[in-house]
Amino acid sequence: MYLFLAWLQNSALGHAMRETGVWTYGVVNLIHILAIASLFGSVLILDLRLLGAWRKVPLGAISSAAAPIAKTAFGVAALSGVCLLATKATEYEGNPFLLIKFPAIALALANVAILNRSAAWREHRMRELSPREKSKLAVFGGISLACWVAAISAGRLIAYW
Amino acid sequence: MFSRLSHSLGTAAVAVSLATIPAWAHHGWAGNSQEEFELIGTVQRGVSLAGPHATMQILADGHVWDLTLAPPARTQAAGLKEGTIPVGATVMIHGHRNLDPKKFEVKTERIMWNGHTFNVYPDRK
Repeated sequence: MYLFLAWLQNSALGHAMRETGVWTYGVVNLIHILAIASLFGSVLILDLRLLGAWRKVPLGAISSAAAPIAKTAFGVAALSGVCLLATKATEYEGNPFLLIKFPAIALALANVAILNRSAAWREHRMRELSPREKSKLAVFGGISLACWVAAISAGRLIAYW
Repeated sequence: MFSRLSHSLGTAAVAVSLATIPAWAHHGWAGNSQEEFELIGTVQRGVSLAGPHATMQILADGHVWDLTLAPPARTQAAGLKEGTIPVGATVMIHGHRNLDPKKFEVKTERIMWNGHTFNVYPDRK
């Protein structure tokens, strides 16, 4: 763990983050926050729909808007996050919130990978889902929401350790 | 059903934020002593203006002390830039030391050197 953090800190990315002006960290932090806001906003609406909110709105209408935003926002958040971590990576050694944040993100990604393989999700834009399939998707929605709340909460608390 | 769900989610969110306010009202200062703390030492590693906070290291009482300054732009605005104070120079610092006696870290409000005072937190005592 420490070796990886030290390598990241000494990488060209770490040097660039530290040596390219007093606003670099702040601007990258801003990009990270905007990406998290977009990710959580889209995930929140999609997950609440899966959990049974706004039943009158077709799931396909919500997912076709929310899923691409969530995907893009996750990419931006991950890239900007690596930059922030690289700035002073070794200082995060032993930070307990990091050990909550990254497993929570891994679980959220595993959850969405399994969801993407399910017949109910692959076919939800083409046909009406059965009640059984709807409850199955609700479980995915609940897990997703719990993971992202945990990841963002732990992520914010990293700065307070 | 949904309005009940959103109501309880909202209540939970408010409860969580209220519970965390006293401990973290000041971003990062809660882990440091309330007492004013002063230290004289020699610069071991000069000021770095990397985020999220500017830092430097001084040697004092046989220990290397990590000084946490203001955010980079604010530290620079106080006149403290990378290379302003040379390595080896004697400085006096004023701030709040880490509550953990094993951590030689000071959240630093002012640095006095060579007749200059760099007041990176002028709104703090």
